[in-house]
Parts: sequence; structure tokens; C-alpha cells
Amino acid sequence: MVAFYLIGAISSVILNKKDSICSYFSFFSAAAGALIGAIFSISVIFGETFYLTPSQDSYLKFGFFVDKLSAFFILVISISVFAVSIFSTGYVKEYFGKKNIGHLGFLYNIFILSMIFVICANNAIMFLILWELMSIISFFLVVYEHEKPETRKAGFIYIVMTHIGTGFILLSFMIFAGASGSFSFETFNAAGMTMTPLLKDLAFIFAFIGFGAKAGIVPLHIWLPYAHPAAPSNVSALMSGVMIKTAIFMMIRVFFDFLGASGSWWGYVVLAVGTISAILGILYAVVEPDMKRMLAFSSIENIGIILIGLGASMIFFASGKPIISAIAAIAALYHLLNHSVFKGLLFIGAGSILYSTHTKNIEELGGIIKKMPLSAILILIGVLSISAMPPFSGFVSEWLTFQSLLLSFNLNNNFAIIMLSISAAFLALTGALAAYCFLKFFGMVFLALPRSEHARHAKEVNIPMLAGMGIFALLSILLGILPVYVLPVLDRITASFIGTGAFSQSISAGTFGMISIPSSQGISILTPVLLAILLILMLIPAIILLINRKTWQPNYETWGCGQPISTARNEYSANAFSKPVQMWFKSLYRPARETEVTYSSPYLKESFKFESRIEQVFEQYLYNPVVDFVMVKSRKAKLIQTGSIHAYLGYIFGILIILFMFVIAGGS
Amino acid sequence: MAEVVFGSKIMQLLIAFILVSTFMILGSTRLYSCVRAFGIQSFLLACVAGIVAYSTGKYDIYIVALLTLIIKSAVIPYIFIYIIREIKVKKEIELYVNISPSLIIGGTLVVISYYLIRSISIISELSSLALSASMSLVSIGLFIMISRKKALMQMLGILIMENGLFLGAISLTNGMPLLVELGIFFDVLIGVLIMGILIFRINKTFESIDTDLLKNLIG
Repeated sequence: MVAFYLIGAISSVILNKKDSICSYFSFFSAAAGALIGAIFSISVIFGETFYLTPSQDSYLKFGFFVDKLSAFFILVISISVFAVSIFSTGYVKEYFGKKNIGHLGFLYNIFILSMIFVICANNAIMFLILWELMSIISFFLVVYEHEKPETRKAGFIYIVMTHIGTGFILLSFMIFAGASGSFSFETFNAAGMTMTPLLKDLAFIFAFIGFGAKAGIVPLHIWLPYAHPAAPSNVSALMSGVMIKTAIFMMIRVFFDFLGASGSWWGYVVLAVGTISAILGILYAVVEPDMKRMLAFSSIENIGIILIGLGASMIFFASGKPIISAIAAIAALYHLLNHSVFKGLLFIGAGSILYSTHTKNIEELGGIIKKMPLSAILILIGVLSISAMPPFSGFVSEWLTFQSLLLSFNLNNNFAIIMLSISAAFLALTGALAAYCFLKFFGMVFLALPRSEHARHAKEVNIPMLAGMGIFALLSILLGILPVYVLPVLDRITASFIGTGAFSQSISAGTFGMISIPSSQGISILTPVLLAILLILMLIPAIILLINRKTWQPNYETWGCGQPISTARNEYSANAFSKPVQMWFKSLYRPARETEVTYSSPYLKESFKFESRIEQVFEQYLYNPVVDFVMVKSRKAKLIQTGSIHAYLGYIFGILIILFMFVIAGGS
Repeated sequence: MAEVVFGSKIMQLLIAFILVSTFMILGSTRLYSCVRAFGIQSFLLACVAGIVAYSTGKYDIYIVALLTLIIKSAVIPYIFIYIIREIKVKKEIELYVNISPSLIIGGTLVVISYYLIRSISIISELSSLALSASMSLVSIGLFIMISRKKALMQMLGILIMENGLFLGAISLTNGMPLLVELGIFFDVLIGVLIMGILIFRINKTFESIDTDLLKNLIG
């Protein structure tokens, strides 16, 4: 597996000159590596933990270990990488002759490799090195189109945020290392038991901030909406689908394995942050006209949903309800898997649209379902999935999350019940807004009339790109219809860190892929297969009607209401569609409007310009003051940086004389 | 032995002359005379090395003395003169600190160095003279780098510092291993060549070798 990625990386550098060969080599070997990685990880999930320790020297102890949890994440990575790599062979054609494909292929392979190694590291120092490697390589991928100024800005924000995160991770690991006397993760495990509560709380906070910055939790999310749209689409699919999940992986590892999830308030923090991220992420996504930025905001939302599951799991675990905790953890992991699939699909779908229309702005698209029918269907599957529509994958995991939140009545702690219920309410709102947001996305991009020249000249994308999307789409359907086969697997994984499996004791599988979760008041049942069959049955009349439809003749006369829409200017725009949400949440968006009217004579308006903006609250009120403060201090520090050699030498001289004086005073 | 060597009258005289030559550099406004003074200083240094070699009987120090003579008092001054001729620089040195304050500061530095060495108790009374001279050379070299505008003088200043270090090293250890000395000589020579090239480049870019103009490089 590693060999394939390395081959991909090296061959792409060697074959730098030949664009097409280079892209085939690097992306196919990545796909092959992913295939082997998937097989390997499945074997670990059902088998034994895998160890590899190349160095046992007492000073330089490092190695890899793959337990069930890391195997699951390798599986998630491998699935995404496989589909995205196939997509990439088609997608990079856009860069042929313009950019260096060798660089892209090299960075792409090394990036995947670093993610896999991060998951497998068994030593804090090695982990931090690999984590940095992953961050820096993804930074290079973000700034791949570095000739655009906004890309450079995005890269800068990304690298600053990710390093702040790494700083906090370092602090957290240093607390562990101080308690355990070693940097090995195994000793961290043992140290977690013996640490004082205060140290544990500190380690938790630092780790949560550190990994949260990578995962994109609010308010550390500001890099996501910049970095993801700036990167090439295949890379943003991986960054959003997979990279931010490595942070979730480490959260699970630190909170459950190292710290034993013992702090009672930790779960509430995770839950609250998850809820806020989910709701804010989707609110910003709704009003965003740039489709890749919209997807990035939606990643924040989904990370929030995953964290809701994780937080609920921690609350239940700390309250001594391991089985419910396991259900919540399964929900989180299932949503994580689903998110990587459908977000990968949507990002590469957005990439396909970008590829054929050269615009990311939803307002400029429209009507391309006629030009790109296959892509449209595949993207529709992704859209339905992310909107949590049965029988697609998003539905199952959100259903599970809800179930686990609603099981809170099993607790005899009123605060927990209230928190979990509030969270469930917000999750419901999030789900509705997500559906609204993606309805807007699909409707505005694919339906109606083209809104610009870009959309008018769209063409269907090439086969590798369709194949990449097809793999994701197939997986979304399978994960949605057949969760009954997936859940036992996830159960094995959660059992490895929670201690009890939920499957045999609580969740049970029935015929027709039925899943049931018993509660004290009854049983919650979900049968996705039946749902799917029902849906198809319901669709049949619609299809029959569609086939038999007669040519439809509008008669328009008199007041002209039957008149077909002739120009795109008459259409509903994306901004108009999201206007209601903008108005309801006015206090959050703080919209600013500017109108500018020019008159050719006092009575005739020549042009009318309307501009509306929404404010990025966090940037405005949290980050800008910090940035300003740093800038002011730096300007003060600049006073001594005169740029004159003599002044610099003078500083040395002055210090030397002071030291002389010091020695003389001390010596005599 | 070392104490005998550095206590002898001839040694004290040489060290005094080295200091005087440093003040010649500090007190002159002409590039040529600065270079000449540096040559004399290096020649005196070679003599010091020669006397150490004679009194300790180590042959490798003779080699060191010879190398000092060739490289520092012949080759490097020649490179300087070559640069001055090639880039047709004005012969005057431009100063931040005038000659008379420079001399006073130089004197103060010598006094400070003397007290500094005196206050380190482990050094014996006799070699402390050479050490305080070496300390003064280092600090005066640094001062020259600060107070003169021409890039050539920065180069000269660093060479004076190097001479000071050489004097200090030889007075403390009676000659370092030959290999180390050779390495240092090589460094100095290469350093001078690189700095010479750099000065050519500065001259080409700024039409002058006034390092004050480098201020324009900051953003």
C-alpha cells in the first residue's frame, strides 16, 4: 500500500514532462494503494491489531499500530481516495499545459500517505511530525493555483490556523508526556488513569482546541471556507471528506483511550460545540453563492453532527450507560463514513461543474441538467444523501444520532436530558436547513434556464470523472439501504474503545434489513430496504405519467400568464431563494446593503446597482481584533529593525559592552 | 614557557605596537593608510607567532607565523588594494563617528578590556597583557564596523577582530593544533574573497559601496 503511494509520488515527479502519462501513473497508483489499504483495514477490523515497530531504540522509539479504530479510518480514507483518484485522472486534464501535473501528483500521493501514517502513529513525537507533514502538504495543495491572490490568502489563513491547532496539540501531549514520562501512546493510555483531574481537564481542553482547529469547529472554522474552495476540487474532496476526519479520529483516541472519557462535563462541551458548529455551518452555507464555499460550510455542519454524536456518547459513557454510549458512537462513526462519501461526491461533483463551466458561482449557473444529465443524476444522489432523505445514506446516520439523543430519558440527570433535547432540536433545524440549502444548490445549478454564457456552454464531463462520482453515488445508496450490514462492523469498532458492543444487547437486525432500537416506551424501527421499495413503488406512477405525457401546449393570451420564461433574468435567483433565511436570521448575518443609483437626467435612472453582503461574525469580532493587536505590536517592533547594517552591529556591540561590564562588576 | 614568552620585553613591545597599529586604522581617513596599517598589524602578529614558535620550539607554529605573514600581511592587503582600484572608490572614509571621538572611544574600549581581563582571576598576570590587547582588538574591530560607512571598512573591521582572536588564541594556548590554524586561515581567505565579490555586487547595484544605502532594501 505504502509502496503504491510512493510509486505514485515518485513517478509523477519523474514523468513531469508528459502531462497525461504522469497523471495516469500517479492517480492510478494512488487508487491501487487505496484498494490495498481498504482490504488491509477490513482484515484488521475483523482480525487482530497490527503492529510494526521498525525502531525499538530507547531514544528513538517509533512504530505503527493499527487497531480497529484506526483501521476504520484507513478504510474511510481508502474509499475516498479510490474514487477521487479515478475522478482525478479525468479532472486534471484541465491543468494540462497550464500547471505542473507532476507536482500535483507528488503532493497528492504524499498527502494521502501522511494521513494514513498519522492514523497509525504510536508515538507522540512521530505523530506531531506526521501531523505537520500532513498540514504542510495540504497547504501546498491549497496554494496549487498560487497565481490567484485569493488562493494565497486562503493558504495563509489555513497555515496560521493549523499551526495554532498544532500548538495546542503539543501542549496537550506535553501534559501527557509529563505524566507518563514517555512519548509513546501506550504509556499515555496508562497515564490517563493516574493523572489528577485538573491535568486531565487541561489535556482535554488543549486537545479539543487543537484537533478542533483541524476539524473546523466553530469558532476555529474560519480557514475551511477559504482553503477548501481554493484547492483543486479533487484535493478539496479529500481535505473535506477525509483530512478533517483525522482530527475526529484523534479526538476519539484522546478522549476515550487516553483520558478514559472520565470528566463529566467534557461531553457537554463537545455536544455544545458540535451543535453550534452544525447550526452555524449550515446557516452560512444557505446564503453562500460560491458552491465550493457552500460545501465547505456544510462540512462544518457535518463535523458538528459528528461531534454531537461523539459528545452524546461521552455524556452517556460518563453517566454509566455504555450501551447507549455505543449507539451514539456508532451514529457518529456512521455519519463520518457517510459524510466522507457524499461530501466527496459533492465536491467532485462541484469540480465537474467547474470543469465544464469554469465558474463556481451558483448565480451564474442553471439549466445544465440538459447538458450534463449523468452528472446531474449522480450529484442529485449526493444532494439527497446530504439532505438526509431516505433511503440515502445521510438519513440513516442522522436517524441514529436522533435516536441516541432521544434515549437521554434513560439518564436520571435533568441537566443532561435538557442539553441533549436542546441539541436534538437544533439538529432537527440543521437537517431542515441542510435540505433547504441543497435544494437551492441543485435547483439553481441544474434546473431552469442558463444564467450566463458559462452555463450555456457546459458539456458532459469525461468518463473517469463520471466513474469517480458513480462510485461515491453507489456507496451512498448502499450505505443508505443496507445499514444492517454496516452497523455490526461499526459496532466492533466502537466496542473496542467503549468496552461494550451495542449490537447484541440493544440494536437488533430483522428481516428486510430492519433495525430496531428498544426503548422503555417502545421500539424504534427503521427498515431502509422497505422504505426504498416503497419509494420506488411511489415513483412508478410518476414515471408512467412521465412516459405517457402528451405534448403540453400552453395557451397564452390576455394577461400573458402562460407565457414561457424566455430569459434568465426573469428567473428566481439563488440569493432570492435564500432570502427568507437571511431575514429570519438577520441578527446573525448582519446583512449590509448598498444601493448606488446613477441618473442620466433628474428623472431617468441610468443604472441601478445593488450590493448586499453578509458579515462573517467570527472574523469580524474575534479574529480581526487579534490580528490588529499583533500588527500594532509588530509595527512597534519594526522600529528597531532599521535595515541598517551599522545599527545591527551596534546592537551586538552594545550587548557585548554590557556583558563586559557585567563580568567586570561581578569579578572584582 | 608561556609566562616567560609573554612577559618578555620584546613581546610587550610587539603587543603595544599591534595596539598602536589598530589606532592607526581608527585614526586615519584614507583607505590606503588603513589597509597599510592592517598589513603592519598582521606583520607584527606574525612576529608574535614567530617568537612563540622560537621559545616553545614547536615547528608547526613557524608554519602558522609564515602563513600569517603571507596571507594576512600580503595577500589580503593586495586584495583590498585591487578592489579599491577596480571599483574606483573615493579614497576617503565616510564616518558616522568622527576621528577624535573614535580615538577616545577606542581608548575607552582598551581600558574596559584591560579591566575585563584583570577581573577574570584564573588568567595569570603575564599573559593577561596579550589577552587584554586581543580583547581590545576585537572590540575596536567591531566598533570600526559600526562607525564606518564603506563596505570595505566593514570587511577590514572583521579582519581586525579575527586578528584579535588569533592573538588571544596564541597567547592562551601557545599555538593551537596546526589543523585548526590552517582551517582558520582558509576561512579568512575565503571570507575575504566572498566579501570582495559582495562588495563588487553592492557597487554594481547601488553605484556606491556605502552600506547606508542598504537600508533601501527593507520593505
